[in-house]
Amino acid sequence: MIKINNLTATVNEGQQTILNGLSLDIPAGEVHAIMGPNGAGKSTLSYVLTGKDGYDVTDGSVNYMGADLLDMEPEERAAAGLFLSFQYPLEIPGVPTMHFLRTALNAQRKARGADEMSAPEFLKKARSVAAELKIKPDMLKRPLNVGFSGGEKKRMEIFQMMMLEPKFIIMDETDSGLDVDALRIVADGVNALRAPTRGMLIITHYQRLLDYIVPDRVHVLADGKIVASGNADFAKLLEKEGYDKYAA
Amino acid sequence: MINMQPNTLINQLPHRRMEAWKWTDVRGAVTDTQVGMTAACAPEFELPPSLTLTRKNHTDTGTPMGKLATNFAGEAYVVNVPAGFNSTDTLKISSLEHGHVRIIIRLGVDAKLNMSEVHASKKAGFVNLDLRIELAKGAKLARTINHNDHADTMRISTTQISAWADAEITQHILSFGAGLSRFETRIASLGENLKADIHGAYLLNDKRHCDMTSYIDLGAENAHIRQSVKGVVTDKARGVFQGKFHVRRPAQLTDAEMRHDAIMLSDSCQVRAKPELEIYADDVACAHGNTVGALDESALFYMRQRGIPSKQARALLTLAFVAEAFVAEAFDSMADHTSFMALITNWLEQNS
Repeated sequence: MIKINNLTATVNEGQQTILNGLSLDIPAGEVHAIMGPNGAGKSTLSYVLTGKDGYDVTDGSVNYMGADLLDMEPEERAAAGLFLSFQYPLEIPGVPTMHFLRTALNAQRKARGADEMSAPEFLKKARSVAAELKIKPDMLKRPLNVGFSGGEKKRMEIFQMMMLEPKFIIMDETDSGLDVDALRIVADGVNALRAPTRGMLIITHYQRLLDYIVPDRVHVLADGKIVASGNADFAKLLEKEGYDKYAA
Repeated sequence: MINMQPNTLINQLPHRRMEAWKWTDVRGAVTDTQVGMTAACAPEFELPPSLTLTRKNHTDTGTPMGKLATNFAGEAYVVNVPAGFNSTDTLKISSLEHGHVRIIIRLGVDAKLNMSEVHASKKAGFVNLDLRIELAKGAKLARTINHNDHADTMRISTTQISAWADAEITQHILSFGAGLSRFETRIASLGENLKADIHGAYLLNDKRHCDMTSYIDLGAENAHIRQSVKGVVTDKARGVFQGKFHVRRPAQLTDAEMRHDAIMLSDSCQVRAKPELEIYADDVACAHGNTVGALDESALFYMRQRGIPSKQARALLTLAFVAEAFVAEAFDSMADHTSFMALITNWLEQNS
């Protein structure tokens, strides 16, 4: 589904290389986890895949469902089904959550040549997803993420994810800031989205999240490339042994 | 009397070496061929039933622009709103296209008036409005100004409001600028418990200029003032904000906040701001804040990651920013609320 080949990316106008020949292949229907020490390039990978400014891809390619992902604008990637659950979700002052999300949903639909979702249909869906994630309805009227706690922001990311029904999901440190109950609710939401046509990349520091969302493959990212891979049990081993032996 | 010869007339105009006009140089910008420089303006009034319009001679306001208005406007237009007046109808003033005009509006005790002004011109011209509003005890004024001029028009609009005890003022200005334009609001509190919400926004493209200047002179106890002005400038446009709260010794318990925030969308636009507090009373809470910046790039990326195209994301963020100046309760129910939001959205579609 997504094929990353020898991806090399720099910041600070080429001064610093963050991704250094990273290759990774995630087929549809699979959930892959990326673990690794601080500064390994985990968040950079998520930003390069979603098209954030400030990262220069100097080598390599990313093929996303047959298309050259790196050639697309961020909003085109979103319309093609790529979703990033941010490590630090942004506050959007003055824009109510529901309005923001409906604008996003309909912009994606428009880009795909589909009809807009009607207001009642959208509302109905939002109510049911919010109930599933135990989000209070009045939170959806407030400006997106403004004044929300860290945990509420993370839950709101999952809410958006379930509303937008993306094809490929990247989750960047989604577990940070979540208590155990919230973690379970979020994991249930994510697991419900697992499907043969959908791929997921979970970036995490700790093994904890992977108890709830069990991955098909686990990779270690260090110094800008994948240095080791394994199955779900590999994460437990990493948790025990640490990343030291993978660091340069 | 002022000498009416064009050359001498230009010498009467305020200019950049005067502190209050340093960023809005009328003398430097005017040409003596500007339509309306020496003519009277013929505004249109739409009055709520039972109100009448009269013409009356009146002393000038002493300011340079006030003197010019006295010279060329002829008699002032006067609307007297009787004590206790309360109507859902709005006093509308329009056709302020070129020339000088003086308007006096007096609200009697406990009178309540909604007032809506359109300041617009289709052709380049010179407009000088000298408006005086008197609020008797307990009078309430809700005022909106919709400004959209020809790119070469020069417009100076000065409003002096005197407010007796328990008066309330809600004012919202939406300006898309002109070749040169200035909306100056001067409020003097003459009695206690003044409540004033004076907000505005300017959205400027091309080489447009808008100056929002205010001087709130507090002379009595317990005033409650909220002011928020939002600016969005692009291209080579220029926005100016000058705000002053003058809290005199008797104005104890004053609670006053002033904010000006501007977003610059291009490298060549300008924003000038001078927020000022001058306080002689010791038991007051006064604050002012001023920010000038660009749109938050991280927020824009976040919105684009959700599928909102760049242009639409910029417009949405900017609209939310501007809309903060238009949240006062008294404004919500006014017809202009909807039209203001539509005008802003339309502008943002063209300029984001």
